[in-house]
Amino acid sequence: MSIESQSEVGDGSGGGTENQYGWRYTISKVLEDTTARWGLYVVCVVLFISAYTAIDSNLSVITFGRVSDFTFAEALPLLEDPERIPPPGETDGNQPPVFHADGSITHPLGTDPDGRDYLSRIVYGAQVSVSVGIFSTLIGLLGGTIIGAVAGYYGGIVDDILMRSVEIVYAIPPLVLIIVFTVLISGGSPDIQFAIVGVGIAFIPVFARIIRSEVLSVREMDYIEAARASGVKDYNIILRHIIPNSFAPVMVYATLQIGVTILIVAGLSFLGYGAQPPTPDWGEMLRVSHGHMLSNIWLSIWPGLAILITIMGFNLLGDGIQDALDPQIDD
Amino acid sequence: MTEPLLRVENLKTQFFTETGTVRAVDGISFEVNEGEIVGLVGESGAGKSVASMSLMRLIDSPGEIVGGEITYNGETIFGLEEGPDGELREREDMLSPERMRREIRGNEIAVIFQDPMESLNPVFTVGGQLREFIELNRDLEGAAAKEEAIEMLREVGIPDPEERYEEYPHQFSGGMRQRVLIAMALACEPNLIIADEPTTALDVTVEGQILDLVDDLQEKYGTSFIWVTHDLGVVAEICDRVNVMYLGEIVEQAPVDELFYETSHPYTNALLNSMPRPDRTVDELEPIEGMMPEAINPPSGCRFHPRCPDAKEVCTRVHPDPKVVDTVDGDPHRSACLKRDAFDVGYDESPPIDAEPDVVAAAGSGAGGEDDE
Amino acid sequence: MRLLRYTIYRLVQSIPVLIGITLITFILANLAPGDPVQLMLHGQEVDEDLVRTVEERYGLDQPLHERYLNYMAGLVQGDFGHSIHRDRPVRDLMLDRIGPTLLLVLSAYVFAIVTSIPLGILAAKRRNEPADHISRIVALFGVSTPSFWIGIMLIVIFSVTLGVLPSSGLVYPWRTPADTSFFGYLAHFYDVLRHLLLPMIALGTLQMATLMRVERTQMINSLQGEYVKLARAYGVPERRVLRKHAFKPAQLPIITIIGLNLSTALGGAVLIEYVFNINGMGRLLIEAIQELDYQLIMGITIVIGFIFVIGVIITDISYAYIDPRVTYGEEE
Repeated sequence: MSIESQSEVGDGSGGGTENQYGWRYTISKVLEDTTARWGLYVVCVVLFISAYTAIDSNLSVITFGRVSDFTFAEALPLLEDPERIPPPGETDGNQPPVFHADGSITHPLGTDPDGRDYLSRIVYGAQVSVSVGIFSTLIGLLGGTIIGAVAGYYGGIVDDILMRSVEIVYAIPPLVLIIVFTVLISGGSPDIQFAIVGVGIAFIPVFARIIRSEVLSVREMDYIEAARASGVKDYNIILRHIIPNSFAPVMVYATLQIGVTILIVAGLSFLGYGAQPPTPDWGEMLRVSHGHMLSNIWLSIWPGLAILITIMGFNLLGDGIQDALDPQIDD
Repeated sequence: MTEPLLRVENLKTQFFTETGTVRAVDGISFEVNEGEIVGLVGESGAGKSVASMSLMRLIDSPGEIVGGEITYNGETIFGLEEGPDGELREREDMLSPERMRREIRGNEIAVIFQDPMESLNPVFTVGGQLREFIELNRDLEGAAAKEEAIEMLREVGIPDPEERYEEYPHQFSGGMRQRVLIAMALACEPNLIIADEPTTALDVTVEGQILDLVDDLQEKYGTSFIWVTHDLGVVAEICDRVNVMYLGEIVEQAPVDELFYETSHPYTNALLNSMPRPDRTVDELEPIEGMMPEAINPPSGCRFHPRCPDAKEVCTRVHPDPKVVDTVDGDPHRSACLKRDAFDVGYDESPPIDAEPDVVAAAGSGAGGEDDE
Repeated sequence: MRLLRYTIYRLVQSIPVLIGITLITFILANLAPGDPVQLMLHGQEVDEDLVRTVEERYGLDQPLHERYLNYMAGLVQGDFGHSIHRDRPVRDLMLDRIGPTLLLVLSAYVFAIVTSIPLGILAAKRRNEPADHISRIVALFGVSTPSFWIGIMLIVIFSVTLGVLPSSGLVYPWRTPADTSFFGYLAHFYDVLRHLLLPMIALGTLQMATLMRVERTQMINSLQGEYVKLARAYGVPERRVLRKHAFKPAQLPIITIIGLNLSTALGGAVLIEYVFNINGMGRLLIEAIQELDYQLIMGITIVIGFIFVIGVIITDISYAYIDPRVTYGEEE
């Protein structure tokens, strides 16, 4: 019905005709959407926690080295050093959470089998998940952008070869590819860095595809023709014109992708091929607690909830951005 | 005079959206007699399509028919009455949804849509779709329905109908698909066909062929048509009587020759001047000034006054309902312009409006203006 | 005829992809740091001669490209090489394990499809009503929850707390039960279902949620289509409009997604097999990785890649079956 579609475009912001894909327009559209706003809140909280704990433990976010002597955790009475295993007698292992009859307020979420405070480990775990999500997405984005842009810009045989190779990588299920890659590249002693690189590489194909199709449409624009005709070098055209102009849909995808990478790395750590003990990581914690399912089920519940909430935040945000950019169907 | 086939009185259809109530159709009245082609003309967004869909009670939420009366062949398609509590309620004799579906849609009133590319379902064969509608609306089943379908395809000028019957819509050209849609309408043997801009999406030569085809078939079957269009050229070629719509209202209603030669409403005049005509030589076509305002918040008084070259102060205050200005062979010529003598509201004495037409019109522009019906 | 030609076209088209999978897997397995034989020995001191004998026996002394060609020559005849660690042909090891994985993945798909399609249609039909909101929340949780965690939670609820369903292993429907009477088969079938239920739900939830979202969007779009308007205008009953005229064209993207999601499902199967102790390909892969059994790792990766490619081809053909517009490779 004609009037209906008219009103659907009409509600929201009235005069959205000038620049449907401008950043400011997108951001305002995203903020209008209730679910997207909630997603943004969750993402911001998780980002803040991970940034805080990163400074706190004085770790380089990438290397996940040791915890330094000085920690802000001391200032925050509920948090403890997430990696330090207390000597016997200091705390009980496998303590239930505070609302349980045997729980105590010192360890609101209880302790793990080694007696470490579970809340601290959950909070510090955000850091690993967020860095995994961001860094592996960046690797995928960077690799995908290069391959997609080159394939799309040059076309022909270059396009064929690149996209075919990408299709082949895509044909091996990511989790399988990542496990094999991580273990083999690390020579049998996997760790989170390898997992991040592996996940990044496994997701190059999807980004390459999106970038390529964007480039194909941008390539035909008059100003690209003009630049080419006036002798601008190819890599300049790709870097200065084509990539910036095909970035918006990729950013949406990247947001949604962060959730997926966190999900995959959680699985990887759960199998023992991601973060290694004593690093506090939700997937790794689930791996350890899997063996204590009968004695303390809470150990399995908290990390799962943490993963769920984080990924849901990224998904809500990604959905919101998608709706804002693509008003085809609005709710 | 005999009772017309279809009578529409004061029909109102509104859309209840978040931004407000859109009065898409705002009190229109017209009639369709047996065997005639009645035009419904206007710019995009005038409410023509909503009006024609209202006739079949096919208005989707958030739209709703809120007032008026539609009578078809003695049956009440839509009618309201005042209930004991003072609220308006549907009249007892109004057709139930089930009877609308079984007895009216397809059987009695069929429709040809604007876009032949989108109107046929891409995953079913053309013949299958045609046959389904025949089985639903006629007492034909199975092989007989198929035979009829093939016959209708031949009738609308599709070559090799037996083979084309098994093909899918994407294997047909736009013109051929429009012929299929016409075949669908005719195959159900309705008494009234609503053609909603059926030739807009086609190129001019194909459009000519389709119009000729409709002319021939109309003569042969005697079906009545409501021809919805924005193209007065098509109207001149095919229609017997014409209703000109502007912003949900009918502003002029006349037999086709009368409309063209004794034009009464400035809007009709503007429409005529904006299109090329074989009977006049002009140096330049005159586009209509400004954009049509939104039906959500129509201008006061005469809705056309912001764009009207003849508008005077009184036009901003007084809302004209169409009145008879002339009668030709028993058919009334109605017009809703205060200039006409039938309105005695002091148009001649009224001062002119100072404001430039496009200043007001520009305020009403926006996403809502472009409406592809 | 059209479908046959399309099938052949798709099969031919996938040959380079299949070769590519073997190539990537081979490079990955052979460029890994460390000498495979040394790695396999886990740093034990062994006689140099013995190492050389082993290398010769498995062709590890040849240049890489020759080793690849030899491997491919074997592959064409269905020979995936020999697992040094287990001293058995890789093919036999995989044949033992492929059944449970296929059973798990297929049942998860059946679960996902039979739940998501009606729910997606319902949500589209009752758009912005409570039923729609609930199904969208369910879908959001579905796409945000790790499948293995769902598995753990299901075990805790149904096996540990309620004690109504088994928490590990599968019973294979293709095995003959001890009691071969009718009731024996019935009991066997019941047992198969009981064991399958939890892993199936754990693996299928993500698929269900993804499909439900797509189904909803597609049905909403389809219900607004001109062809639906036309069907209504010709008096087609609303039920038939929904189930036939709007439904069929809306399923096309679903089919594509079902195919592409096979990738996630196969990956997820590794985790679910681990959680539920199912002796499938996924667990075999984990075992092979722990044993650093390169031949076995390669074989499993290739087979899983092949299953995915074949799955995509099957869904492409179903797509072509429904959509008459597909001819050869050009889809709309």
